Amino acid sequence: MLKSLHATRNSQSLPEIRSIDNRAKTFDALVRPHFDRLYRLAFRLTGRKAEAEDLFQELLIKAFGKLDDLVAIDQPGSWLSRVMYNLFIDEQRRFARRRMHTVDEGFLPGDGLDGLAGSENPEKDQQRFEKLQQLDAALAQLSDEHRVVVLLHDTEGYKLEEIHDLTGVPVGTIKSRLHRARARLREILTESGTFS
Amino acid sequence: MHTSDTDRQDQEVLELLRDYPMATADAAFYDQALVRATHEGSQRQRNRWIMTGFGSAVAAGIVLWLVSGVFLTAPSLPQPDAGIPGIAMTLEEPRTVNLVFASTSALDAATLTVTLPEGIELAGFPGQREIAWQTSLVEGKNLLPLELIALTPAGGEVLARLEHDDRDRTFRLRIEVS
Repeated sequence: MLKSLHATRNSQSLPEIRSIDNRAKTFDALVRPHFDRLYRLAFRLTGRKAEAEDLFQELLIKAFGKLDDLVAIDQPGSWLSRVMYNLFIDEQRRFARRRMHTVDEGFLPGDGLDGLAGSENPEKDQQRFEKLQQLDAALAQLSDEHRVVVLLHDTEGYKLEEIHDLTGVPVGTIKSRLHRARARLREILTESGTFS
Repeated sequence: MHTSDTDRQDQEVLELLRDYPMATADAAFYDQALVRATHEGSQRQRNRWIMTGFGSAVAAGIVLWLVSGVFLTAPSLPQPDAGIPGIAMTLEEPRTVNLVFASTSALDAATLTVTLPEGIELAGFPGQREIAWQTSLVEGKNLLPLELIALTPAGGEVLARLEHDDRDRTFRLRIEVS
């Protein structure tokens, strides 16, 4: 018989022992190998570095709270990606609202363009930069569903099945969104004179 | 209907998408995010024992009973400190005492028994001098917060006995009440 019967529970439960340092170390070892991929996903979902980092941070806080579950998971990377995606969906209104403000203010929604590497051909670089700026603006006009699918598939190289695992959206729907997203991008870029 | 122009434009869209740049994380971002996650994640689980720094523990009214020393071969129970640490309490003023157990291995289903002297109670368990329950320890430092209340000025020793399999260790904490 458990000795816990010795205690008569009153207004509060029995004190619980918690690890001080090993949980943090365990967590670090489990999640760190996935950081780059998760950071990229966060950036693709939100479109801005500051928001991506907020989302990344929220994910880690949530995941640490579920460390006991995380330890038992075969593929923590996939699980973390799904949690991040769900957090993004939960916070979508907030992110969408910020993105609208950004467009209204005339700024580009993505701030990764600042980090573009130059080549030895400045004229070509400039053309490429302008096209990417136009793509950036075109992506901002897509719905979240279309933008996320096209960025994950065509930019990040996710397979359709991986996007399905991440989002829970049927593969057929993903294909349809991808097709429509590309067509809409072509349309917007044609209207903006991006294509020669 | 697709034309050769459309196909070329589709191809160009794909090429642009492949080139679409990516922000990079600042060098310290990952480490900072981890530290914040472990702190905030713990707080969100209502781990009231998380303090901003253990260096300020005494000032914050928290006493650490750090148990260290030579460990037995695994699986082993944590060893008590040779000296008996003590704290001072104010009469009828609850105080959380954090007991720290350092264990060389994880211990499942260990039994922890806290024995209180006359006049000292564990918050939520009035009138109980001995409280025992099963718990688990992970490898490394494990912390047990005990909220104590002194009801008389007598003071005494709090004993925390940890039992696992057929072995046990007893930790002592001297309490003075003013």
